[in-house]
This record gives sequence, C-alpha cells and structure tokens, in this order.
Amino acid sequence: MPLIAPEGETKELVRRAKEEDADPVWRGDAFILLRDLAQLPEVMTHCRDQLGYSLLYDVTAVDLSSDDADLKLVYGLRNLKTKARLVVQARVAKEATQVPSVSFIYPAADWHEREAAEMYGITYVGHPDLRKLLLPDDWDGFPLRKDYEYPDEYHGVSCT
Amino acid sequence: MSVHPAAHFDEKPGRQVELDVATQDCMIHMGPQHPATHGVMRVLLKADGEILAGAQTHLGYLHRCAEKIGESVDWLQYLPYTDRYDYLAAMNNNLGYSLAVESLLGAEVPERAQYLRVIVAELNRIASHLFAVGTYGLDLGAFTPLFTALRDREEVLELFEKICGARLTYSYIRPGGVMNDAPEGWMATVGEFLNRLEESWHEYWTLIAENKIFIERTANIGVLSAEQAQAWGCSGPMLRGSGVDWDLRRDQPYLIYDRLEFDVIKGVGYRGTLGDCFDRTFVRMFEMVESVRIVRQCLEQIPDGEIMHEEVGAVIRPAPGESYVAIENPRGELGHYCVSDGTKIATRVRVRSPSFCNMSVAEHLMPGSMLGDAAAIIGSVDIVVGETDR
Repeated sequence: MPLIAPEGETKELVRRAKEEDADPVWRGDAFILLRDLAQLPEVMTHCRDQLGYSLLYDVTAVDLSSDDADLKLVYGLRNLKTKARLVVQARVAKEATQVPSVSFIYPAADWHEREAAEMYGITYVGHPDLRKLLLPDDWDGFPLRKDYEYPDEYHGVSCT
Repeated sequence: MSVHPAAHFDEKPGRQVELDVATQDCMIHMGPQHPATHGVMRVLLKADGEILAGAQTHLGYLHRCAEKIGESVDWLQYLPYTDRYDYLAAMNNNLGYSLAVESLLGAEVPERAQYLRVIVAELNRIASHLFAVGTYGLDLGAFTPLFTALRDREEVLELFEKICGARLTYSYIRPGGVMNDAPEGWMATVGEFLNRLEESWHEYWTLIAENKIFIERTANIGVLSAEQAQAWGCSGPMLRGSGVDWDLRRDQPYLIYDRLEFDVIKGVGYRGTLGDCFDRTFVRMFEMVESVRIVRQCLEQIPDGEIMHEEVGAVIRPAPGESYVAIENPRGELGHYCVSDGTKIATRVRVRSPSFCNMSVAEHLMPGSMLGDAAAIIGSVDIVVGETDR
C-alpha cells in the first residue's frame, strides 16, 4: 500500500499529534490521537468543513487487553479529492464509556456507533437512536470486550 | 356481506360509497423472509396509502460473530470465515483479509500470485455483478435477466472450481499468495469465456436498458445525491452511481492495478436523474466491461514464477501493530482493520463491510416513494446480508 500523505493543515495537525504521543504503531496512514475526548465533535467538524474529509468510512473500538483500563476508539476519514486518509483515535475508560456522538456530523456514524455501542458498551452521547443493531434486544454483556463471558444458554438454547 | 358498524353508506340506490374513511398509517414488515431482501433482513415500512412515510431497517438475523471469531482463531484459520460474509464475492473477501495480514507482516507477494489474484477477483466481480443485475430484474418482476445472468455466472464458477475446487467459498487467496497455480489451459478458457461474455453482455444491456418496464421501475426512483452518498459513507457502485469519481483500485492502488488500464464508471443519469436506481445498475453493467478489460490485460502480462511468499507459513505471528487495508469489492470498500499483539491470534479483526454502510442510507431514500419502490431501492443497493451482519 502506498503511503498517502495528507496535505497542508492536516500535516500540521498530524505532526503535532505525533509529537505529543508516539504511542500507537499505525502503518501507512496519518492519525490524530485525541487527548481530550470532549474535543471530538469539534475536531471532526473541522476535518469535514475545513480539511475536506467528506467521507467517514469507519467508526469502531478496540479492546486491547482485559488488563487495559481503556478502550481505544477509532474513526476513519477519507478525503476523496486529495485521496488522503486520516485516522482519529482516542481512548475512553471502560468504567465510564461516555463518548460524544459524531452521527450529527457524519450520518455514516449512525450504524457504526450503534454497533460499537452494543459490542463494547460505549454510550454515544447525542446519538438519536442507540438501540441494538446486530444483537438481540435482550442480549446481556458486551461481546467484543476481552473480559466477556459467554452465556450458558439463551432462551433455552444451550450456548456451550 | 358484513359491514363495519362505523361505516356510513350513501343512501342513494345503486351505488354504495363509503363516506367516512378514516385513514391511518399502515406498518408493513418487509422480511425477514422476503425474496427482495437478498437474505434475512427486515425492513419495517410505514405506508400512508401507497406512499411510504418512513422505513426502519432491522439487522442481525444473519449475525455470525465474525469479528469475535477473528479474536479466537489463528490468523490463517480466520480466512475461511471471510468467504462467508460476502458469499457472492468470496475471492474479494479473501483478498481484502490477505492484504491486511500481509501489510502487518510486511510481506511482498510474488508477481505471478498478484496477477492471479487480480484475475480471480475481477472474474468474481463479474459473477457478482451478473447476479446483482439478474436478481434486481427478478425483484422488479422480470425473470429473463436472472436466467441469462446465471448461465454466464455458472461459467465463472466452473473456472473457479477448476482453479481451487470450490464454487462459492474459495479460500483461494491466502496470506502470502494464492493456494495453487492455474491448471494447464485455464488461462485460455478464461479468454474464451471473456469473448462469450462480451457477446452476451449486449443481450443483458438490451434486457435492462431497453426494457421499458425496467426503466419505469428504476429511473428517478431512490435518488441519492453525491453529497448524501458521501455523508452516509457509501462506496462502490452506490457512490459512483451518484456521480462521485472514486474507485480504490485506481485511487489507492493495491496489487498491480496501477499497471492496468481501466475506466472508473460513474452514473450519468442515463435514463432519469443522476443517482437513481437505474444509474447504480448502469454502473454495475459497465463495470463488467471494465473487468473484462482488466482480466484480458492480466492474461497478457502475467509472468511465470512463484505463487507463494516463502516465509509465510501455516502459523503467522505478525509484529505488534495495526493496519487498515481497504479494497474495492463488487459492493464497495471492504476494509479490514487488524490489530496484532505479536501472538498467533489477532487482537482485533474489524470488518468494514460495504453493504453495511450502503444499506444505512437506504431507509432514508424511501420516504415519499411508492410502496412498490421499496423493493426497487433495496435491490439497487445490492446488499448481501451475510456482509451487513457478519
């Protein structure tokens, strides 16, 4: 995969982010690591309106290990004109998973956030409709968390 | 004849007219078992008479925990699961996952394997688009396109059977290269198939684009603007059908796509408005022609040599890190976001599936259109539910 460097202002943003924290090993893409989660809507709006990242291709989360106190949030943006890709990452504590929703900035986040919410137990504050998407409505627990325990049975169906 | 007590009737003799007709929105469940949902999916439609007032999609009937499985099996063991989310384009799924794993490994695949990958991926695109266009006709009440499309798709499946032994779930493209080389005479058979397809393509085009019923059912229906398509994260024919010039094969080339000549097909409002259901079918039809071009060039250029990377063995332990690799699947951007912690089992395998994002906008295209158009709109998205639900 060729490296596609983002242009101008993004470069500056990315450079600053990199200096602040060289933590994740991200191959092939520019990324922003957000310190303050409250800034997320602001940064995303900036990316969309000023930097031309018109397409949000993915919203997801990662639970790196059950020892980790945080979940990692991942947002992927594309600029169809410059062909640049930008990844915005942030961390949120597993104990208090309140994350501002970006679905009012990028409608594409709607279903992605619903999926991440049911799989990781993240509460996207401001999301219009945070019902479960893929799982049954009465499913307990958050399956993609590393400390998830499989149920013994579901409505009389054995799960073991 | 029993009459509802609340109804009043005109007392004039001869003709009885219902005077007090209270109307209310009618909720209709389309699915989970419905021929036009292409899988097990439910759309709850709110109909005001014949007009749709709203729609709500309910997913999950085909959720098979693909991402959770990805975190519990070896890197290589996960490959067969990729076949099963988009079972109409399994070669492309294998390719997307293999590229993601290879980017973590930093492995460069031998050139012959790269060409073989492009050949099978493009043949798979042809098969998938044939099926998409054929079943779309079926959704709209036309039987003939499906039968002719399946006739040619069958030939692609036979080609795949010859090269890897499977017809639908191949696991042919694997991290490091491809499973085995093409058998003798296979390339020539592919060439012959392309010649035949080119002839029958005109037949499809007549069945679709010159068919008054098909045009009436699709033109100006479900119009998706370019801005809306981007805002909702659409990709593939859904995005290009709205006139957006974006194709990962050209714009972020992987494998050897940068050596090949092909055009990116965009919707032009051929029979109606730009971005309507017809335009999406238009894009799929002409992408088949481009795929034929691509495969022909590959057949000419393909070199001899190895088909597997020497160092990629049965147990893979990528160095810690993460990578997102996207390819252009027949339905759009298929992305794999893989996180490795250096062990033989992945920390995270995220699948960004194109149908999932494309489908999320469909419920917003429905309000205002006719009830019968719901099938036309869902069909034009060309979803595979195995992929929306994973």
